[in-house]
Amino acid sequence: MADPRRQPPRSRPLPPSHDEEKRGPGATLASLLVETRSVMPAAGATGLPLMLVVAAMCFLASLALGAALSVNDKTREWTSEISGSLTVEIRPSRDMAAEDQIDAVMSALAAAPGIISATPLRRDETAALLEPWLGQGLVTDDLPLPGLIDIRIDNESPPDLSQLAIDIAAAAPGASLDTHRQWRSELMRAARSATWLAFGVLAVVAGTTIAIVIFATRAGLSANRDVVEVLHLIGARDRFIASEVQRHFLHLGFRGGLIGTAAGALTFLLLGFAGGAGDMFLIAASGLAPGHYPALLAIPFAAAFVTLTTARLTVLNSLERML
Amino acid sequence: MIRFENVGMRYGMGPEVLRDVSFHLAPGSFHFLTGPSGAGKTSLLKLMFLANRPSRGLITMFGKDVATLPRAELPALRRRIGVVFQEFRMLDHLTTYENVALPLKIQGRKEETYRDDVEELLAWVGLGDRLNARPPPLSGGEKQRAAIARAVVAQPDVLLADEPTGNVDPEMGQRLLRLFVELNRLGTSVLIATHDRALVDAAGAPELVLRNGGLTIRG
Repeated sequence: MADPRRQPPRSRPLPPSHDEEKRGPGATLASLLVETRSVMPAAGATGLPLMLVVAAMCFLASLALGAALSVNDKTREWTSEISGSLTVEIRPSRDMAAEDQIDAVMSALAAAPGIISATPLRRDETAALLEPWLGQGLVTDDLPLPGLIDIRIDNESPPDLSQLAIDIAAAAPGASLDTHRQWRSELMRAARSATWLAFGVLAVVAGTTIAIVIFATRAGLSANRDVVEVLHLIGARDRFIASEVQRHFLHLGFRGGLIGTAAGALTFLLLGFAGGAGDMFLIAASGLAPGHYPALLAIPFAAAFVTLTTARLTVLNSLERML
Repeated sequence: MIRFENVGMRYGMGPEVLRDVSFHLAPGSFHFLTGPSGAGKTSLLKLMFLANRPSRGLITMFGKDVATLPRAELPALRRRIGVVFQEFRMLDHLTTYENVALPLKIQGRKEETYRDDVEELLAWVGLGDRLNARPPPLSGGEKQRAAIARAVVAQPDVLLADEPTGNVDPEMGQRLLRLFVELNRLGTSVLIATHDRALVDAAGAPELVLRNGGLTIRG
């Protein structure tokens, strides 16, 4: 009898292979979306409900990430605007006329280094600044208003602010320098809190996803205990079984991630259409800045990585207890 | 190759199902394992294909003491053993082809290196037209032949078969026996647990006879 297994391979063309491997980035992306057949049955381990849970988690993650990016952007924008400017406030004084006060301060500013421009605000401009608080037309001519000088400083070689404050105070009675420092530090504190809050949400989302995947992996292994036993008995290593199981979770994580992120991006876009009503707690209500949308694309890949790694470690840990 | 010395086995706190079993399977040997139902044949096979560990005694497989073998080394040993399970244990979600090719796949071999061989082996056991069928619709005999194909496809050093001809007609039984004999001729040690006297008589190989958990060697 001829041994059927020892024949040399024949030259006829092979039909489509059962586990054909593809190459290239496009093929890699396609392989993330289209699941190939696995030795481990999908039943019990994956499914639409689990994918929707991952999608919901990724939706929350995309909102949190978008918020964190927006907050960071806004604070950077505001602080750079503010840090480039100073204001001199000149309260009316009995000892010197208002115009003389302004002239004295302007001379002091002209002598100070690092100042690009100093512009005294006209009385009507100062009144306009007060309008939101006092109401239109209520700033009358006899109301004593402080004189204001808007200063633009050179951020490359800024002036010595303490020395400048001393010089200005000495130049005219009632003159003082406002560096906006207090406002800026409060803004930074609020922004930092908002960013940490967003990162906290991301951590909770990741933790919840991990817990769900652990639960699903264990349930899947338990449902397919017989398959695992057969695989072990014909010589499969734990690594082989883990890689077969993790494939389900790779696809599940990536698809769920795509759905959730798409929903998140859509939310930001809708906010953009419906927005224009100002900012919501430092987040631009007019949606996410266009430059930030690509960052959201990291979420499906992160979700795929988290679900894959969690499933692999869970399988290896569970199989360790079997013979 | 496989040596049992005073091996005893019990399930949990139950009575011993195997008592003081001692024998040696030399490389290239051919044995039958016989005995009445409940004598412990399947338990003995489970020890041999490393599904269970003995309660006492010494089992040496390919020069390694099974009792002290680290878990990580079990797969390498199991790959040298082909098993035909009594209840077939095919994976129902895979096709017949995929089931039979599984031992080669788990060894990390590329499909193009074994596809022809697997198809030819399946044709030889009469399943050439059932390559893409899943096990549930297969008859008992077809499943059994697929299980045998899976056990021999990786050319193991030892083939352990639990009632491999129990579900096939005498003609197919003889055909499968010829496959086992041929494998044995090519160097694989074969141990067949069976009730089929005709099979034992046809092969004329020595018998390990299990009775009440004890083992004697005949022939």
